[in-house]
Amino acid sequence: MGKIFSVALGILTAIGGFLDIGDLVTNAVVGSRFGLALAWVVVVGVIGICLYANMAGKVAAVSGRATFEIIRERLGPRVAAANLSASFFINLMTLTAEIGGVALALQLATDVGRMMWIPVAAFAVWVVVWRVKFSIMENVTGLLGLFLIVFAISVFALHPNWGDLVHQATAPVISEKESAATYWYFAIALFGAAMTPYEVFFFSSGAVEEHWTKKDLGTSRLNVMVGFPLGGVLSIAIASCAAIVLLPGQIEVTSLSQITMPVVIAGGKLLLAFVIVGIVAATFGAALETALSAGYILAQFLGWPWGKFRRPAEAARFHVVMFVAIVAGAAVLYTGIDPIMVTEYSVVFSAIALPLTYLPILIVANDSEYMGEETNGRVTNMLSSVYLVIILAASLAAIPLMIVTGGGQ
Amino acid sequence: MTDLPSIPHRGRLVDARLHLLDRQLLDDEGDPAGIVDDLELTDFVVDEDIPSGTEAPRVTGLLAGQVVATRIFGGAPPRSRLQEISWNLVASVGTVIKLKPTDMTLDAGWVERWLRDRIIKHIPGGQHAAE
Repeated sequence: MGKIFSVALGILTAIGGFLDIGDLVTNAVVGSRFGLALAWVVVVGVIGICLYANMAGKVAAVSGRATFEIIRERLGPRVAAANLSASFFINLMTLTAEIGGVALALQLATDVGRMMWIPVAAFAVWVVVWRVKFSIMENVTGLLGLFLIVFAISVFALHPNWGDLVHQATAPVISEKESAATYWYFAIALFGAAMTPYEVFFFSSGAVEEHWTKKDLGTSRLNVMVGFPLGGVLSIAIASCAAIVLLPGQIEVTSLSQITMPVVIAGGKLLLAFVIVGIVAATFGAALETALSAGYILAQFLGWPWGKFRRPAEAARFHVVMFVAIVAGAAVLYTGIDPIMVTEYSVVFSAIALPLTYLPILIVANDSEYMGEETNGRVTNMLSSVYLVIILAASLAAIPLMIVTGGGQ
Repeated sequence: MTDLPSIPHRGRLVDARLHLLDRQLLDDEGDPAGIVDDLELTDFVVDEDIPSGTEAPRVTGLLAGQVVATRIFGGAPPRSRLQEISWNLVASVGTVIKLKPTDMTLDAGWVERWLRDRIIKHIPGGQHAAE
């Protein structure tokens, strides 16, 4: 009974934990501009993150080594440092976007400006990182994040033309107002939102935090294989809501109020209240994960003691790095920069950085010295190679497309 | 490139670059104690022909310290920045290098100690595990 409960809990938190500000914003923007013509990218991204998170979790559980320890060992200090700088910067950008997302959601709920909420959100993130146990942190934010299911309910409540939606998704057409370049630019953004690298840092470090062993592999695989695809379904629901309401009305997504507009039309204030709880939980959860990831990757690269399972006094540098990262994120937001814009760029940069972590994990997952009997099988390697090509293509195409489209304008 | 001479040996062949350099060091309680930055070898003359029959140099210790900058940008750090951990203290070489119990405090941790004693200890909750 306890086993079933823990599996169910794991799956539910994986669903809630899959979505963050990047998924919310990108799916809504894409839905409002392209309808469901990019829904296939979510499917590709979800399969990718399942494969990738599973591999990182397996490496961590079997060898006890988290991602960045391995990257340094395999690539040497010089290349690993370049990799770390890029990963750290993009992670910081995502952390900034998530803290901004929490502030925007609280602004939507209270009408108090986001500048007032930024320090509150940043302080709350720090307190949880400092004091709250890892499993409680994961379960609470994951379960409350499930309120985002309101987006799926809204799709039904809006009584869409189902045939039309299915047609948009299965026979994608680029509308006359959009160019092929913007279509592919947003395809990369959506791919980056589904496969953000911090999820992998966090997943592999979390496996060490929770002292996973080979025995836990089955449970973790199930969490990922069921939870992430259901999270992907919610992503498509967000895009569908935008496609039903925002696309015909030619409404541009510039803030959270447009993202939640379909929910308000479908269910009024009650559903809006639920969706705001969901957005706060999802972005707050992701802010915690990115703040921790900042500490994890630097500590792992430099061989410091790290982890929430230690007393902060036993991992002093780790805690100082996280504190500085949170303050830096809040400081960037205080320049008055639009969190939605930070999010839009952070998902594209995530796509650019994907090969940096994907390749070393793939190499180590094939190293029998680390993995023993759990070394990648032939099927996994075939799929992984296909994804390596997709990831490299997305990474290389991202910057040229960003320049050509002026950031998707 | 000629093949290296194959010398019969007992035990396991370890590639210093692949299996020792940049490996995580764990102390006897399993806590991270730094990263292997270099190796200490027995004396041998550099840049001269080695007469045949000379004994091969041996690894006498692991070196660890705050030298990540020179590891990345090149150059040799002052020897004082590196602390030697005698090979006798190595308990096992695997995906991590485990050390035997020792009284030696690892110098690599002075920043950690400074931050702990000056900052982290003074913030409420800093000395207790998360709940």
